[in-house]
Amino acid sequence: MDILQNTFASFVSLVPVTLAQSLILAFVVLGIMIPFRMLSFPDLTSEGAFPLGGCVCGVLMAAGMSPLAAIAIALVAGFLAGCCTAFIHLRFRIHTLLAGILMMTMLYSINLRIMGRSNLSVFGAPTVFDWAPGLQPGFPASKIVVAGLIALIVFFLLYHFFRTEKGTAVRAVGANPDMAEAQGINVWLATIGGVGLAGAFSAAGGALMVQSQGFADVNMGLGILINGLAALMIGEAIVGKQSVARQLAAPFVGAIVYYQLVSFCLAAGMPPPDLKLATGLFVLAMLALPSLKRSRGPAPARETVRE
Amino acid sequence: MLEIRSARKVFYKGQADEKVALDGLNLSLATGEFGVVIGSNGAGKSSMLNAISGALVLDSGQIVINGDDVTATPVHKRAMRLARVFQDPMRGTAASMTVAENMLLAELRSNKRTLRRGLNSRRLATYRERLSLLGLGLENRLDTRVELLSGGQRQSLSLIMAVGGEPELLLLDEHTAALDPRTADIVMQATIRAVEALKLTTLMVTHNMQHAVDFGHKVIMLDAGRVRLEIDGKEKAQTTVPDLIGHFSVKTDRMFLAS
Repeated sequence: MDILQNTFASFVSLVPVTLAQSLILAFVVLGIMIPFRMLSFPDLTSEGAFPLGGCVCGVLMAAGMSPLAAIAIALVAGFLAGCCTAFIHLRFRIHTLLAGILMMTMLYSINLRIMGRSNLSVFGAPTVFDWAPGLQPGFPASKIVVAGLIALIVFFLLYHFFRTEKGTAVRAVGANPDMAEAQGINVWLATIGGVGLAGAFSAAGGALMVQSQGFADVNMGLGILINGLAALMIGEAIVGKQSVARQLAAPFVGAIVYYQLVSFCLAAGMPPPDLKLATGLFVLAMLALPSLKRSRGPAPARETVRE
Repeated sequence: MLEIRSARKVFYKGQADEKVALDGLNLSLATGEFGVVIGSNGAGKSSMLNAISGALVLDSGQIVINGDDVTATPVHKRAMRLARVFQDPMRGTAASMTVAENMLLAELRSNKRTLRRGLNSRRLATYRERLSLLGLGLENRLDTRVELLSGGQRQSLSLIMAVGGEPELLLLDEHTAALDPRTADIVMQATIRAVEALKLTTLMVTHNMQHAVDFGHKVIMLDAGRVRLEIDGKEKAQTTVPDLIGHFSVKTDRMFLAS
Protein backbone atom coordinates (compact mmCIF):
# COMPACT_ATOMS: atom_id res chain seq x y z
CA MET A 1 0.00 0.00 0.00
CA ASP A 2 2.87 2.28 0.82
CA ILE A 3 4.35 2.00 -2.66
CA LEU A 4 1.00 2.73 -4.23
CA GLN A 5 0.51 5.76 -2.06
CA ASN A 6 3.98 7.05 -2.85
CA THR A 7 3.45 6.55 -6.57
CA PHE A 8 0.14 8.33 -6.43
CA ALA A 9 1.48 11.21 -4.38
CA SER A 10 4.44 11.83 -6.68
CA PHE A 11 2.14 11.58 -9.71
CA VAL A 12 -0.29 14.13 -8.29
CA SER A 13 2.50 16.52 -7.40
CA LEU A 14 3.65 16.37 -11.02
CA VAL A 15 0.20 16.96 -12.55
CA PRO A 16 0.51 20.77 -13.02
CA VAL A 17 4.03 20.60 -14.49
CA THR A 18 2.98 17.83 -16.85
CA LEU A 19 -0.16 19.72 -17.83
CA ALA A 20 1.87 22.80 -18.75
CA GLN A 21 4.25 20.65 -20.79
CA SER A 22 1.44 18.81 -22.55
CA LEU A 23 -0.35 22.02 -23.57
CA ILE A 24 2.86 23.17 -25.24
CA LEU A 25 3.47 19.83 -26.93
CA ALA A 26 -0.14 19.79 -28.12
CA PHE A 27 0.98 22.17 -30.88
CA VAL A 28 3.39 19.53 -32.15
CA VAL A 29 0.58 16.96 -32.10
CA LEU A 30 -1.51 19.44 -34.06
CA GLY A 31 1.39 19.79 -36.50
CA ILE A 32 1.37 16.00 -36.92
CA MET A 33 -2.42 15.69 -37.19
CA ILE A 34 -2.98 18.26 -39.94
CA PRO A 35 -0.87 16.55 -42.63
CA PHE A 36 -1.89 13.02 -41.54
CA ARG A 37 -5.62 13.53 -41.25
CA MET A 38 -6.57 16.67 -43.15
CA LEU A 39 -4.20 16.23 -46.11
CA SER A 40 -3.49 12.45 -46.16
CA PHE A 41 0.17 13.41 -46.25
CA PRO A 42 2.04 11.25 -43.70
CA ASP A 43 4.71 13.69 -42.66
CA LEU A 44 7.80 13.47 -40.47
CA THR A 45 8.91 17.09 -40.75
CA SER A 46 7.81 17.88 -37.20
CA GLU A 47 10.78 15.90 -35.85
CA GLY A 48 12.97 18.60 -37.44
CA ALA A 49 10.60 21.56 -37.29
CA PHE A 50 10.15 21.27 -33.52
CA PRO A 51 13.88 21.77 -32.70
CA LEU A 52 14.07 24.29 -35.56
CA GLY A 53 11.47 26.44 -33.81
CA GLY A 54 13.31 25.97 -30.54
CA CYS A 55 16.72 26.90 -31.96
CA VAL A 56 15.44 29.95 -33.83
CA CYS A 57 13.56 31.13 -30.76
CA GLY A 58 16.55 30.46 -28.47
CA VAL A 59 19.01 32.39 -30.61
CA LEU A 60 16.68 35.35 -30.98
CA MET A 61 15.91 35.45 -27.26
CA ALA A 62 19.63 35.31 -26.47
CA ALA A 63 20.03 38.27 -28.82
CA GLY A 64 17.50 40.16 -26.73
CA MET A 65 14.47 40.01 -29.01
CA SER A 66 10.99 40.13 -27.47
CA PRO A 67 9.59 36.63 -26.77
CA LEU A 68 6.55 37.13 -29.00
CA ALA A 69 8.64 38.24 -31.99
CA ALA A 70 10.96 35.25 -31.42
CA ILE A 71 7.97 32.91 -31.58
CA ALA A 72 6.67 34.62 -34.70
CA ILE A 73 9.98 34.17 -36.52
CA ALA A 74 10.25 30.55 -35.34
CA LEU A 75 6.75 30.07 -36.77
CA VAL A 76 7.84 31.38 -40.17
CA ALA A 77 10.92 29.12 -40.13
CA GLY A 78 8.72 26.09 -39.39
CA PHE A 79 6.30 27.11 -42.14
CA LEU A 80 9.13 27.20 -44.67
CA ALA A 81 10.40 23.79 -43.52
CA GLY A 82 6.93 22.31 -44.04
CA CYS A 83 6.64 23.95 -47.46
CA CYS A 84 9.99 22.40 -48.46
CA THR A 85 8.84 18.90 -47.51
CA ALA A 86 5.62 19.29 -49.50
CA PHE A 87 7.51 20.72 -52.46
CA ILE A 88 10.05 17.86 -52.45
CA HIS A 89 7.16 15.39 -52.51
CA LEU A 90 5.16 17.14 -55.23
CA ARG A 91 7.94 18.21 -57.56
CA PHE A 92 10.20 15.15 -57.43
CA ARG A 93 7.49 12.59 -56.66
CA ILE A 94 9.38 11.36 -53.62
CA HIS A 95 7.28 9.55 -51.03
CA THR A 96 6.03 11.88 -48.31
CA LEU A 97 7.74 9.89 -45.56
CA LEU A 98 11.08 9.95 -47.37
CA ALA A 99 10.69 13.65 -48.11
CA GLY A 100 10.09 14.19 -44.39
CA ILE A 101 13.14 12.14 -43.39
CA LEU A 102 15.30 14.09 -45.85
CA MET A 103 13.99 17.35 -44.47
CA MET A 104 14.48 16.48 -40.81
CA THR A 105 18.01 15.18 -41.46
CA MET A 106 18.93 18.37 -43.26
CA LEU A 107 17.27 20.44 -40.57
CA TYR A 108 19.57 18.91 -37.93
CA SER A 109 22.57 20.56 -39.59
CA ILE A 110 20.63 23.75 -40.14
CA ASN A 111 19.63 23.85 -36.48
CA LEU A 112 23.27 23.43 -35.43
CA ARG A 113 24.24 26.24 -37.81
CA ILE A 114 21.56 28.51 -36.43
CA MET A 115 22.68 28.04 -32.84
CA GLY A 116 26.38 27.62 -33.53
CA ARG A 117 26.56 24.95 -30.83
CA SER A 118 24.46 22.06 -29.63
CA ASN A 119 22.68 23.82 -26.81
CA LEU A 120 21.98 27.31 -25.60
CA SER A 121 20.72 28.57 -22.27
CA VAL A 122 18.21 31.42 -22.31
CA PHE A 123 17.38 31.13 -18.66
CA GLY A 124 16.24 34.43 -17.19
CA ALA A 125 15.32 36.01 -20.52
CA PRO A 126 11.74 37.33 -20.67
CA THR A 127 9.18 34.81 -21.95
CA VAL A 128 5.53 34.94 -22.94
CA PHE A 129 4.74 33.08 -19.73
CA ASP A 130 5.74 36.18 -17.71
CA TRP A 131 2.66 37.92 -19.04
CA ALA A 132 0.07 35.75 -17.32
CA PRO A 133 -1.99 38.25 -15.32
CA GLY A 134 -1.89 37.96 -11.54
CA LEU A 135 0.36 34.93 -11.46
CA GLN A 136 3.91 34.54 -10.36
CA PRO A 137 6.08 34.00 -13.45
CA GLY A 138 7.99 30.77 -13.80
CA PHE A 139 5.43 28.56 -12.11
CA PRO A 140 3.33 25.93 -13.89
CA ALA A 141 0.14 27.93 -13.37
CA SER A 142 1.31 30.81 -15.57
CA LYS A 143 2.44 28.34 -18.24
CA ILE A 144 -0.89 26.54 -18.13
CA VAL A 145 -2.79 29.79 -18.50
CA VAL A 146 -0.71 31.19 -21.37
CA ALA A 147 -0.30 27.92 -23.30
CA GLY A 148 -3.96 27.04 -22.70
CA LEU A 149 -5.07 30.42 -23.97
CA ILE A 150 -2.98 30.12 -27.12
CA ALA A 151 -4.29 26.57 -27.63
CA LEU A 152 -7.89 27.79 -27.36
CA ILE A 153 -7.32 30.61 -29.84
CA VAL A 154 -5.59 28.28 -32.31
CA PHE A 155 -8.37 25.71 -31.96
CA PHE A 156 -11.11 28.21 -32.74
CA LEU A 157 -9.21 29.80 -35.61
CA LEU A 158 -8.58 26.40 -37.20
CA TYR A 159 -12.14 25.28 -36.56
CA HIS A 160 -13.45 28.29 -38.43
CA PHE A 161 -10.87 28.04 -41.18
CA PHE A 162 -11.65 24.42 -42.00
CA ARG A 163 -15.32 25.28 -42.40
CA THR A 164 -14.78 28.19 -44.78
CA GLU A 165 -14.83 27.76 -48.54
CA LYS A 166 -11.03 27.69 -48.68
CA GLY A 167 -10.77 25.33 -45.70
CA THR A 168 -13.26 22.89 -47.21
CA ALA A 169 -11.15 22.90 -50.38
CA VAL A 170 -8.02 22.04 -48.36
CA ARG A 171 -9.82 19.11 -46.74
CA ALA A 172 -10.98 17.92 -50.16
CA VAL A 173 -7.33 17.67 -51.24
CA GLY A 174 -6.77 15.24 -48.39
CA ALA A 175 -9.96 13.30 -49.05
CA ASN A 176 -9.51 12.83 -52.81
CA PRO A 177 -6.79 14.78 -54.65
CA ASP A 178 -8.00 13.79 -58.13
CA MET A 179 -11.50 14.95 -57.35
CA ALA A 180 -10.19 18.14 -55.74
CA GLU A 181 -8.23 18.97 -58.86
CA ALA A 182 -11.24 18.25 -61.06
CA GLN A 183 -13.22 20.68 -58.89
CA GLY A 184 -10.77 23.45 -59.67
CA ILE A 185 -8.71 23.26 -56.50
CA ASN A 186 -4.99 23.94 -56.79
CA VAL A 187 -3.66 20.78 -55.16
CA TRP A 188 -0.08 22.05 -55.04
CA LEU A 189 -1.00 25.25 -53.28
CA ALA A 190 -3.25 23.51 -50.75
CA THR A 191 -0.69 20.81 -49.97
CA ILE A 192 2.26 23.17 -49.63
CA GLY A 193 0.23 25.61 -47.57
CA GLY A 194 -1.24 22.89 -45.37
CA VAL A 195 2.01 21.08 -44.64
CA GLY A 196 3.65 24.48 -44.13
CA LEU A 197 0.99 25.35 -41.57
CA ALA A 198 1.67 22.08 -39.79
CA GLY A 199 5.41 22.85 -39.74
CA ALA A 200 4.61 26.26 -38.29
CA PHE A 201 2.66 24.66 -35.42
CA SER A 202 5.47 22.20 -34.69
CA ALA A 203 7.97 25.06 -34.64
CA ALA A 204 5.68 27.10 -32.39
CA GLY A 205 5.63 24.14 -30.00
CA GLY A 206 9.44 24.11 -30.04
CA ALA A 207 9.64 27.85 -29.42
CA LEU A 208 7.21 27.68 -26.49
CA MET A 209 9.13 24.71 -25.11
CA VAL A 210 12.39 26.65 -25.14
CA GLN A 211 10.76 29.57 -23.35
CA SER A 212 9.25 27.18 -20.83
CA GLN A 213 12.39 25.16 -20.03
CA GLY A 214 14.90 27.98 -20.43
CA PHE A 215 17.23 26.35 -22.92
CA ALA A 216 17.37 25.19 -26.52
CA ASP A 217 18.95 21.94 -27.64
CA VAL A 218 19.40 20.49 -31.13
CA ASN A 219 18.38 17.07 -29.82
CA MET A 220 15.12 18.26 -28.29
CA GLY A 221 13.11 16.78 -31.17
CA LEU A 222 14.34 13.23 -30.71
CA GLY A 223 11.33 10.93 -30.68
CA ILE A 224 8.82 13.78 -30.60
CA LEU A 225 7.05 12.36 -33.65
CA ILE A 226 6.26 9.01 -32.06
CA ASN A 227 5.17 10.76 -28.85
CA GLY A 228 2.94 12.99 -30.96
CA LEU A 229 1.48 10.06 -32.87
CA ALA A 230 0.74 8.22 -29.63
CA ALA A 231 -0.94 11.35 -28.26
CA LEU A 232 -2.96 11.78 -31.44
CA MET A 233 -4.19 8.19 -31.32
CA ILE A 234 -5.22 8.51 -27.71
CA GLY A 235 -7.00 11.75 -28.52
CA GLU A 236 -8.85 10.23 -31.44
CA ALA A 237 -9.81 7.23 -29.32
CA ILE A 238 -11.32 9.60 -26.74
CA VAL A 239 -13.03 12.33 -28.79
CA GLY A 240 -13.22 10.59 -32.18
CA LYS A 241 -12.59 12.10 -35.59
CA GLN A 242 -15.99 12.14 -37.25
CA SER A 243 -16.26 15.90 -37.49
CA VAL A 244 -13.89 18.81 -37.97
CA ALA A 245 -14.33 19.90 -34.35
CA ARG A 246 -13.55 16.45 -32.98
CA GLN A 247 -10.59 15.96 -35.28
CA LEU A 248 -9.17 19.31 -34.17
CA ALA A 249 -9.82 18.64 -30.49
CA ALA A 250 -8.11 15.23 -30.63
CA PRO A 251 -4.49 16.58 -30.58
CA PHE A 252 -5.15 18.71 -27.51
CA VAL A 253 -7.04 16.09 -25.55
CA GLY A 254 -4.59 13.41 -26.64
CA ALA A 255 -1.52 15.43 -25.63
CA ILE A 256 -2.96 16.15 -22.19
CA VAL A 257 -3.88 12.52 -21.51
CA TYR A 258 -0.74 11.04 -23.03
CA TYR A 259 1.72 13.10 -21.03
CA GLN A 260 -0.18 12.43 -17.80
CA LEU A 261 0.07 8.72 -18.63
CA VAL A 262 3.80 9.05 -19.21
CA SER A 263 4.16 10.94 -15.96
CA PHE A 264 2.24 8.21 -14.18
CA CYS A 265 4.46 5.48 -15.62
CA LEU A 266 7.57 7.35 -14.49
CA ALA A 267 6.10 7.92 -11.05
CA ALA A 268 5.34 4.21 -10.86
CA GLY A 269 9.02 3.52 -11.29
CA MET A 270 9.46 2.91 -14.97
CA PRO A 271 13.06 3.73 -15.94
CA PRO A 272 13.06 6.79 -18.27
CA PRO A 273 15.27 5.12 -20.91
CA ASP A 274 12.50 2.55 -21.49
CA LEU A 275 9.99 5.26 -22.33
CA LYS A 276 10.62 5.34 -26.07
CA LEU A 277 10.30 1.56 -26.33
CA ALA A 278 7.03 1.68 -24.44
CA THR A 279 5.69 4.51 -26.59
CA GLY A 280 6.78 2.75 -29.76
CA LEU A 281 5.10 -0.47 -28.69
CA PHE A 282 1.94 1.46 -27.86
CA VAL A 283 1.82 3.12 -31.30
CA LEU A 284 2.55 -0.24 -32.93
CA ALA A 285 -0.29 -1.84 -31.00
CA MET A 286 -2.70 0.94 -31.98
CA LEU A 287 -1.72 0.59 -35.65
CA ALA A 288 -1.85 -3.19 -35.57
CA LEU A 289 -5.20 -3.41 -33.82
CA PRO A 290 -7.43 -2.99 -36.91
CA SER A 291 -5.52 -5.64 -38.88
CA LEU A 292 -5.54 -8.04 -35.93
CA LYS A 293 -9.28 -7.60 -35.55
CA ARG A 294 -10.03 -7.88 -39.26
CA SER A 295 -7.83 -10.50 -40.77
CA ARG A 296 -7.87 -14.20 -40.37
CA GLY A 297 -5.38 -15.83 -42.67
CA PRO A 298 -2.24 -14.35 -44.11
CA ALA A 299 -1.92 -10.67 -44.83
CA PRO A 300 -1.26 -9.57 -48.41
CA ALA A 301 2.41 -9.74 -49.36
CA ARG A 302 2.65 -5.98 -49.55
CA GLU A 303 0.26 -3.38 -48.41
CA THR A 304 0.23 0.34 -48.91
CA VAL A 305 1.39 2.40 -45.95
CA ARG A 306 -1.36 2.57 -43.40
CA GLU A 307 -2.39 5.82 -41.70
CA MET B 1 -18.04 24.61 -78.26
CA LEU B 2 -15.22 22.10 -78.20
CA GLU B 3 -12.53 21.62 -80.79
CA ILE B 4 -9.68 19.14 -80.81
CA ARG B 5 -7.12 19.91 -83.48
CA SER B 6 -4.69 17.21 -84.63
CA ALA B 7 -4.07 15.96 -81.12
CA ARG B 8 -1.18 13.55 -80.81
CA LYS B 9 0.03 11.61 -77.82
CA VAL B 10 2.52 8.77 -77.72
CA PHE B 11 3.16 6.74 -74.59
CA TYR B 12 6.56 5.13 -73.91
CA LYS B 13 8.06 6.99 -76.83
CA GLY B 14 11.13 5.31 -78.33
CA GLN B 15 10.67 2.17 -76.27
CA ALA B 16 9.74 -1.29 -77.44
CA ASP B 17 6.20 -0.95 -76.13
CA GLU B 18 5.59 2.45 -77.74
CA LYS B 19 1.88 3.14 -77.97
CA VAL B 20 0.24 5.82 -80.06
CA ALA B 21 -2.79 6.83 -77.99
CA LEU B 22 -3.92 9.78 -80.07
CA ASP B 23 -2.87 9.93 -83.69
CA GLY B 24 -3.75 13.34 -85.10
CA LEU B 25 -7.24 13.29 -83.68
CA ASN B 26 -9.65 15.97 -84.93
CA LEU B 27 -13.04 16.48 -83.40
CA SER B 28 -15.47 19.32 -83.00
CA LEU B 29 -18.63 19.69 -81.02
CA ALA B 30 -20.95 22.68 -81.43
CA THR B 31 -22.36 24.52 -78.44
CA GLY B 32 -25.23 22.55 -76.98
CA GLU B 33 -24.36 19.47 -78.98
CA PHE B 34 -24.36 16.03 -77.32
CA GLY B 35 -21.71 13.72 -78.73
CA VAL B 36 -21.47 10.03 -77.90
CA VAL B 37 -18.03 8.45 -78.23
CA ILE B 38 -17.68 4.74 -78.87
CA GLY B 39 -14.72 2.54 -79.72
CA SER B 40 -13.00 -0.61 -78.59
CA ASN B 41 -10.58 -0.74 -75.69
CA GLY B 42 -7.38 1.12 -76.44
CA ALA B 43 -8.99 3.21 -79.17
CA GLY B 44 -8.05 6.39 -77.36
CA LYS B 45 -11.35 7.34 -75.71
CA SER B 46 -9.93 7.82 -72.22
CA SER B 47 -6.82 9.51 -73.54
CA MET B 48 -9.04 11.94 -75.41
CA LEU B 49 -11.10 12.78 -72.33
CA ASN B 50 -7.93 13.14 -70.25
CA ALA B 51 -6.47 15.45 -72.89
CA ILE B 52 -9.61 17.58 -72.82
CA SER B 53 -9.68 17.77 -69.01
CA GLY B 54 -5.95 18.49 -68.84
CA ALA B 55 -4.90 15.34 -67.00
CA LEU B 56 -2.96 14.28 -70.11
CA VAL B 57 -0.47 16.67 -71.71
CA LEU B 58 -0.49 16.40 -75.50
CA ASP B 59 2.70 15.93 -77.52
CA SER B 60 1.22 18.20 -80.17
CA GLY B 61 -2.15 19.60 -81.19
CA GLN B 62 -4.64 21.88 -79.54
CA ILE B 63 -7.71 21.78 -77.33
CA VAL B 64 -10.05 24.74 -77.82
CA ILE B 65 -13.06 25.38 -75.60
CA ASN B 66 -15.44 28.15 -76.67
CA GLY B 67 -12.74 29.77 -78.76
CA ASP B 68 -10.05 29.76 -76.08
CA ASP B 69 -6.98 27.61 -76.52
CA VAL B 70 -6.66 25.71 -73.23
CA THR B 71 -3.90 23.31 -74.33
CA ALA B 72 -1.45 24.69 -71.77
CA THR B 73 -4.00 25.31 -68.98
CA PRO B 74 -3.59 23.07 -65.90
CA VAL B 75 -6.40 20.79 -64.76
CA HIS B 76 -7.60 22.92 -61.87
CA LYS B 77 -7.96 26.00 -64.08
CA ARG B 78 -9.77 24.11 -66.82
CA ALA B 79 -12.18 22.92 -64.16
CA MET B 80 -13.76 26.38 -64.23
CA ARG B 81 -15.06 25.52 -67.71
CA LEU B 82 -15.65 21.80 -67.68
CA ALA B 83 -17.06 19.15 -65.39
CA ARG B 84 -16.43 15.43 -65.53
CA VAL B 85 -18.15 12.32 -64.22
CA PHE B 86 -15.84 9.34 -63.94
CA GLN B 87 -16.66 5.67 -64.44
CA ASP B 88 -15.59 4.87 -60.89
CA PRO B 89 -18.06 6.42 -58.40
CA MET B 90 -15.16 6.69 -55.92
CA ARG B 91 -13.21 9.10 -58.09
CA GLY B 92 -15.74 11.85 -58.51
CA THR B 93 -16.56 12.45 -54.87
CA ALA B 94 -14.64 13.01 -51.64
CA ALA B 95 -15.57 9.91 -49.64
CA SER B 96 -14.76 11.13 -46.14
CA MET B 97 -16.71 14.36 -46.58
CA THR B 98 -20.45 14.86 -46.36
CA VAL B 99 -22.91 15.11 -49.22
CA ALA B 100 -23.35 18.83 -48.56
CA GLU B 101 -19.60 19.45 -48.49
CA ASN B 102 -19.23 17.66 -51.81
CA MET B 103 -21.98 19.82 -53.28
CA LEU B 104 -20.18 22.89 -51.94
CA LEU B 105 -16.92 21.86 -53.59
CA ALA B 106 -18.72 21.45 -56.89
CA GLU B 107 -20.48 24.79 -56.56
CA LEU B 108 -17.14 26.49 -55.96
CA ARG B 109 -15.62 24.85 -59.02
CA SER B 110 -16.10 27.94 -61.16
CA ASN B 111 -16.00 30.53 -58.37
CA LYS B 112 -13.30 32.04 -56.26
CA ARG B 113 -13.09 30.42 -52.83
CA THR B 114 -13.24 32.90 -49.98
CA LEU B 115 -12.72 32.80 -46.22
CA ARG B 116 -16.45 33.01 -45.61
CA ARG B 117 -18.39 30.16 -44.04
CA GLY B 118 -18.82 27.43 -46.64
CA LEU B 119 -22.09 25.72 -45.77
CA ASN B 120 -24.70 28.32 -44.95
CA SER B 121 -28.44 27.78 -44.70
CA ARG B 122 -29.11 29.32 -48.11
CA ARG B 123 -26.74 26.89 -49.76
CA LEU B 124 -28.09 23.91 -47.84
CA ALA B 125 -31.60 24.75 -49.01
CA THR B 126 -30.43 24.92 -52.62
CA TYR B 127 -28.64 21.60 -52.36
CA ARG B 128 -31.68 19.97 -50.81
CA GLU B 129 -33.80 21.16 -53.69
CA ARG B 130 -31.38 20.07 -56.37
CA LEU B 131 -30.85 16.62 -54.87
CA SER B 132 -34.58 16.05 -54.47
CA LEU B 133 -34.85 16.04 -58.28
CA LEU B 134 -33.10 12.67 -58.30
CA GLY B 135 -35.75 11.06 -56.15
CA LEU B 136 -33.19 8.98 -54.26
CA GLY B 137 -33.73 10.59 -50.87
CA LEU B 138 -30.28 12.19 -50.90
CA GLU B 139 -31.86 15.51 -49.93
CA ASN B 140 -32.41 14.13 -46.42
CA ARG B 141 -28.84 12.87 -46.10
CA LEU B 142 -26.88 16.08 -46.55
CA ASP B 143 -24.81 15.39 -43.43
CA THR B 144 -24.06 11.78 -44.38
CA ARG B 145 -20.53 11.01 -45.37
CA VAL B 146 -20.38 10.00 -49.02
CA GLU B 147 -18.56 6.74 -48.26
CA LEU B 148 -21.78 5.48 -46.68
CA LEU B 149 -23.77 5.92 -49.90
CA SER B 150 -24.25 3.17 -52.47
CA GLY B 151 -22.41 3.30 -55.80
CA GLY B 152 -25.53 4.45 -57.59
CA GLN B 153 -26.20 7.20 -55.08
CA ARG B 154 -22.62 8.36 -55.30
CA GLN B 155 -22.71 8.42 -59.08
CA SER B 156 -26.01 10.33 -59.04
CA LEU B 157 -24.42 12.80 -56.66
CA SER B 158 -21.40 13.12 -58.99
CA LEU B 159 -23.77 13.88 -61.83
CA ILE B 160 -25.69 16.55 -59.89
CA MET B 161 -22.35 18.03 -58.84
CA ALA B 162 -21.11 18.08 -62.42
CA VAL B 163 -24.16 19.70 -64.03
CA GLY B 164 -24.70 22.08 -61.13
CA GLY B 165 -22.55 24.97 -62.23
CA GLU B 166 -23.77 24.72 -65.84
CA PRO B 167 -20.27 23.95 -67.15
CA GLU B 168 -19.29 24.98 -70.66
CA LEU B 169 -18.46 21.35 -71.32
CA LEU B 170 -19.62 18.15 -69.65
CA LEU B 171 -17.49 15.01 -69.92
CA LEU B 172 -19.10 11.67 -69.07
CA ASP B 173 -16.59 8.85 -68.90
CA GLU B 174 -18.61 5.59 -69.05
CA HIS B 175 -20.37 6.96 -66.03
CA THR B 176 -23.01 4.22 -65.87
CA ALA B 177 -20.72 1.28 -66.61
CA ALA B 178 -20.01 0.38 -63.00
CA LEU B 179 -23.67 0.38 -61.91
CA ASP B 180 -26.33 -2.31 -61.89
CA PRO B 181 -28.78 -2.05 -64.83
CA ARG B 182 -31.61 -0.45 -62.85
CA THR B 183 -29.40 2.18 -61.21
CA ALA B 184 -27.59 2.75 -64.49
CA ASP B 185 -30.94 3.52 -66.02
CA ILE B 186 -31.84 6.02 -63.28
CA VAL B 187 -28.49 7.79 -63.65
CA MET B 188 -28.78 7.80 -67.43
CA GLN B 189 -32.29 9.29 -67.33
CA ALA B 190 -31.13 11.95 -64.91
CA THR B 191 -28.21 12.71 -67.22
CA ILE B 192 -30.44 13.15 -70.25
CA ARG B 193 -32.89 15.35 -68.33
CA ALA B 194 -30.11 17.62 -67.10
CA VAL B 195 -28.29 17.82 -70.42
CA GLU B 196 -31.48 18.66 -72.30
CA ALA B 197 -32.78 21.12 -69.72
CA LEU B 198 -29.50 23.03 -69.49
CA LYS B 199 -28.51 22.53 -73.16
CA LEU B 200 -25.04 21.44 -72.09
CA THR B 201 -22.30 20.73 -74.57
CA THR B 202 -21.63 17.11 -73.70
CA LEU B 203 -19.20 14.39 -74.65
CA MET B 204 -20.17 10.95 -73.38
CA VAL B 205 -17.96 7.87 -73.68
CA THR B 206 -19.88 4.62 -73.59
CA HIS B 207 -19.55 0.93 -74.37
CA ASN B 208 -23.31 0.60 -74.44
CA MET B 209 -24.38 0.65 -78.10
CA GLN B 210 -28.02 1.05 -77.18
CA HIS B 211 -27.16 4.30 -75.37
CA ALA B 212 -25.17 5.44 -78.38
CA VAL B 213 -28.19 4.84 -80.60
CA ASP B 214 -30.79 6.27 -78.23
CA PHE B 215 -29.07 9.39 -76.98
CA GLY B 216 -27.13 12.32 -78.35
CA HIS B 217 -26.96 14.22 -81.60
CA LYS B 218 -23.85 12.61 -82.90
CA VAL B 219 -21.98 9.32 -82.65
CA ILE B 220 -18.20 9.47 -82.88
CA MET B 221 -16.32 6.25 -83.26
CA LEU B 222 -12.64 6.18 -82.36
CA ASP B 223 -10.14 3.66 -83.58
CA ALA B 224 -6.36 3.64 -83.04
CA GLY B 225 -6.32 7.20 -81.80
CA ARG B 226 -8.30 8.84 -84.57
CA VAL B 227 -11.93 9.36 -85.54
CA ARG B 228 -13.00 6.48 -87.72
CA LEU B 229 -16.62 7.40 -88.16
CA GLU B 230 -18.98 10.27 -87.40
CA ILE B 231 -22.72 9.85 -87.72
CA ASP B 232 -25.06 12.75 -87.06
CA GLY B 233 -28.38 14.27 -88.04
CA LYS B 234 -30.84 12.13 -89.92
CA GLU B 235 -28.38 9.35 -90.44
CA LYS B 236 -27.94 9.05 -86.69
CA ALA B 237 -31.69 8.73 -86.21
CA GLN B 238 -31.79 5.72 -88.50
CA THR B 239 -28.76 3.95 -87.10
CA THR B 240 -29.34 0.72 -85.22
CA VAL B 241 -27.19 -1.23 -82.81
CA PRO B 242 -26.11 -3.87 -85.37
CA ASP B 243 -25.07 -1.05 -87.72
CA LEU B 244 -22.74 0.36 -85.10
CA ILE B 245 -21.31 -2.99 -84.15
CA GLY B 246 -20.65 -3.65 -87.83
CA HIS B 247 -18.20 -0.78 -87.83
CA PHE B 248 -15.99 -2.28 -85.17
CA SER B 249 -12.92 -4.00 -86.53
CA VAL B 250 -12.70 -6.20 -83.46
CA LYS B 251 -15.97 -7.34 -81.96
CA THR B 252 -16.08 -8.26 -78.33
CA ASP B 253 -18.68 -10.17 -76.40
CA ARG B 254 -19.18 -7.16 -74.22
CA MET B 255 -20.71 -5.21 -77.09
CA PHE B 256 -23.18 -7.94 -77.90
CA LEU B 257 -24.08 -8.32 -74.28
CA ALA B 258 -24.67 -4.62 -73.99
CA SER B 259 -26.84 -4.44 -77.07
